[in-house]
Amino acid sequence: MPKLIFRLFLTFVVFVGIFILIQQLLTPESFGEYGHYRANAIDDNKMSTSFYKGEAKCNECHQDIFDQKALDVHDAVRCESCHSPKIDASTDCKVSPPIVKGTIKFCAECHATNPARLKKGVPQLNFKEHYDKQNCIECHNPHAPWELKEK
Amino acid sequence: MGTERKVNNRRKFFQTSAALVGGTLLYAIIKPFEALAQPKEEELKTDKANLPLWGMGVDLEKCIGCGKCAEACKIENKVPKEPFYFRTWVEQYTVKNDGTVKIESPNGGIGGLKQSVPDEEIFKSFMVPKLCNHCTKAPCVQACPVGATFISPDGVVLVDETYCIGCSYCIQACPYGARFMNPITKVADKCTFCYHRINEGLQPACVEVCPTNARIFGDLRDKESDLVNFLQVNPTQVLKPHLNTHSRVFYNGLSSEVK
Repeated sequence: MPKLIFRLFLTFVVFVGIFILIQQLLTPESFGEYGHYRANAIDDNKMSTSFYKGEAKCNECHQDIFDQKALDVHDAVRCESCHSPKIDASTDCKVSPPIVKGTIKFCAECHATNPARLKKGVPQLNFKEHYDKQNCIECHNPHAPWELKEK
Repeated sequence: MGTERKVNNRRKFFQTSAALVGGTLLYAIIKPFEALAQPKEEELKTDKANLPLWGMGVDLEKCIGCGKCAEACKIENKVPKEPFYFRTWVEQYTVKNDGTVKIESPNGGIGGLKQSVPDEEIFKSFMVPKLCNHCTKAPCVQACPVGATFISPDGVVLVDETYCIGCSYCIQACPYGARFMNPITKVADKCTFCYHRINEGLQPACVEVCPTNARIFGDLRDKESDLVNFLQVNPTQVLKPHLNTHSRVFYNGLSSEVK
């Protein structure tokens, strides 16, 4: 083989070698396993903590409230709709109980009058007319809203 | 001296070009054989059929715009509290009697949406919860220059936070405005259908808290899931169907005013 061709061939091999080496170094682990992305990123996305535990978890301790709720109009409303978890006590609600004050402002989030809300199903109130300055839970049991407390 | 240098230069030039062309050619020759080396393609396709295909249904007739979903999403996914970072939010559309449309979403609907238009001017009004539509042909995935955003085998559009370079091309590419730049992680952020929750068998946080069950989450491949039932019972639509994104968030009772 002439020296010239040999050198050419050698350069060629070295170039391809370097190309493959750089590509290997720069491609992250598990890239391209399922497509043009890092397959491990799927697991990374699963790593996050669940702050909302789901109603089944609440039932472990609060079966009584769940039974009460099932009999009244708030039966479809899940616990965590109102009792959103405290972010620092995500693992244990006993450490920092997710207490809701039941103020008019809180209940108005769902029950204030708004033409965009469906007319039936969710009662809409003009809170200024409906006993202003009083918290809703002073009369209504939030778990069973039609069970009015006696004053 | 001068002639020699010229010759050497020419030689070097030819060597380099030959190497370049040769390298490219060799790579092109090797590339198709890669599939032979890893015969996984076939297995993966059968696997995919066994995986769930996640989707969501939104019943606009039930949404009351309480904003619990947007609030829960922020807590669950540690989204910054500022009123311009949302993975999901609720918009209130108000069509006035003169035909103009007012769209408002103060703080994404958190704390309950309030009607700002007087009753006598309203022709109709409705709420539209928005989130990532998890497109089958996602423009954001096509726009990403590094492969940091992708459609997972179970049909959820995800972001690879460690690999994202923060160029925000995907944010511009998204026709639904569902992406944002997270100021803490400095990478693109978006709804993941609460990927960590759905893999534990829980519902996404927004679905979990919705007091009127306006959001329905489920597996599109499971013929007995709530979502498939919702799609069978209701005539549903997707947002911006003319863009052919084939999104997997289906709206019931969608008005033509919704953009």
